[in-house]
Amino acid sequence: MAHTHQDSALSRDSYILKPELWQRVRNTLAFAALVGWIALGAGFALNRDQFHFSYLVAFAFCISITLGALFYVQVQHLTGSAWSVTVRRLMETLMRTIPAGLILFIPIAFGIHTVYEWSHASAASDPILQQKAAFLNSTGFIVRGFIVLALWSIWAVRLYSLSRKQDASGSLEFTRSSEKWSAPGVLILFLSASLASFDWIMSLDPHWWSTMFGVYFLAGGAVAFMAVLIAVCLGLRSAGYLSDAINEEHYHDLGKWLFALTVFWAYVTFSQYMLIWYGNLPEEGIWYHRRMVGSWSGFMPLMIIGHFIIPFVTLMPRSSKRNLKMLGFFSGWMLVMHYLDLYWQVMPVLHKTGVAFHWIDLAALVALVSTFGLVFWSGLRERPLVPVGDPRLEQCLGFHNA
Amino acid sequence: MADLLDKLPLPAFLKPADTGGHYGVIGDFDTPEALLRAIRTARTAGYTKFEAYTPFPIHGIDDAMGEPRSPLGRIVVVCALLGLSGAVLLQWWTGAVDYPIIIAGKPLFAIEPSIPIIFELGVLLSAFGTVFGMLALNKLPTYYHPAFNFSKWAGASNDRFLLAIEAIDPKFNPDEIKVLMDSLGSRCTELVEA
Repeated sequence: MAHTHQDSALSRDSYILKPELWQRVRNTLAFAALVGWIALGAGFALNRDQFHFSYLVAFAFCISITLGALFYVQVQHLTGSAWSVTVRRLMETLMRTIPAGLILFIPIAFGIHTVYEWSHASAASDPILQQKAAFLNSTGFIVRGFIVLALWSIWAVRLYSLSRKQDASGSLEFTRSSEKWSAPGVLILFLSASLASFDWIMSLDPHWWSTMFGVYFLAGGAVAFMAVLIAVCLGLRSAGYLSDAINEEHYHDLGKWLFALTVFWAYVTFSQYMLIWYGNLPEEGIWYHRRMVGSWSGFMPLMIIGHFIIPFVTLMPRSSKRNLKMLGFFSGWMLVMHYLDLYWQVMPVLHKTGVAFHWIDLAALVALVSTFGLVFWSGLRERPLVPVGDPRLEQCLGFHNA
Repeated sequence: MADLLDKLPLPAFLKPADTGGHYGVIGDFDTPEALLRAIRTARTAGYTKFEAYTPFPIHGIDDAMGEPRSPLGRIVVVCALLGLSGAVLLQWWTGAVDYPIIIAGKPLFAIEPSIPIIFELGVLLSAFGTVFGMLALNKLPTYYHPAFNFSKWAGASNDRFLLAIEAIDPKFNPDEIKVLMDSLGSRCTELVEA
């Protein structure tokens, strides 16, 4: 490998994972995937309804995180960020897992009739769903699903390969090319992710609509992505990697992003809620009404406090953003919150009277997270953990928060 | 002479200052690195009252000078909390106490529709706290500063890096400081008038 040596006096890190470490983590992930998929298979045989709903939550959880990665990689290119260069390869490797979604989407396509009310026979006699049938039909759902996943895959693969090519040559041409891809990419991402969230989650309540829903989905995904990124960086650090390349200054910035995105999520979520509260119209309020029945009513306060107030207050001081233990705790915390947020959006459709956690929820989560995790981890095999050819790498290694 | 002046009922600015009429000693360095080295050496030598003047912010200078974190964040938090609670009081008092009128069947006061105002007032007072707090902490506007009397002062806004050890420093001794600064690479070291 040409890049195992270090050019920089600012970093003493090794940028290539040791094969033994790589294999150990790969084996753990493969074992988790095996157990997860076997359990999920059993779940499919035992409880078809629960399987499809659990799978949808887990799929939305994973894909929203990879979309956060796609968004962030493009934002780094568009803004010409130097602070993020040493974490960008990890972002890119997360982003590169998107094509796995093309295969993992298949069970959702097969679950349409179980999950979505608009596909039921009763929809034919529902005048509102009749009018929406041109959009909300099984063929359209599947085609749109594959189109958006293919679009994201094209951008993910393209941006990743540009960055990898730069590792070898260090040419500025790849930075320019990435910028050119990112500008339309962000636009397409927001439009297509909105469409995907309308299809996959919002259409669970087919009478209801919210133009804010796409941003809600992406904001949650972006928070969870930042949490995953911090967790991955801290994991590599505890294994002895990148402790110079991603130092306290970089963690401070990642912490700022985690904080800012938490606020953004709250802003978006509240914007949707307040307009519906104020309008007080039955056809709009129904979405919240359905999610406040029985023990579901505990979720909204949980989201306000757990997904916003606690991280907002705790991450506000500079000292907690520079405290790696605190950041590690909140990266896990925000991931749990993001899962519960999606769970609360999806599950009341199945469990109409109250919260009913099921072991298949866990099986689906383990299966999908470990599968995406394996694809992610395969991208770190014998490849540098940072974009070693990036012209801004030196600047990033010496980065300092004012 | 000084004793005589002390006894006269003169305004304070006509009396000789306790500092002996000097602001301090200013040295003029070529590079940020030389300045940082000079600051560290001066601190090691036991000086506590010093100030650096540079044309641009220098990473690590706060650490080198041993500057504590700015209290601005705490000022802003207080302003934000004032804004938040003020907005709650404003909306509750106007809507539910002073002029209660039911609109579209809504409660006279509820937290949900009040949040945008709570948010905006919190942001507004935070912004005021940030800007005016920053100005106050920086003692701005200041129209005159004794450091302007340094003959190479213009360099501080161009390409020179100045270090002043002020006369209020308990260890202040102009001759010793001049030797120290010259040995650290100062191109021009002067005792500057107050």
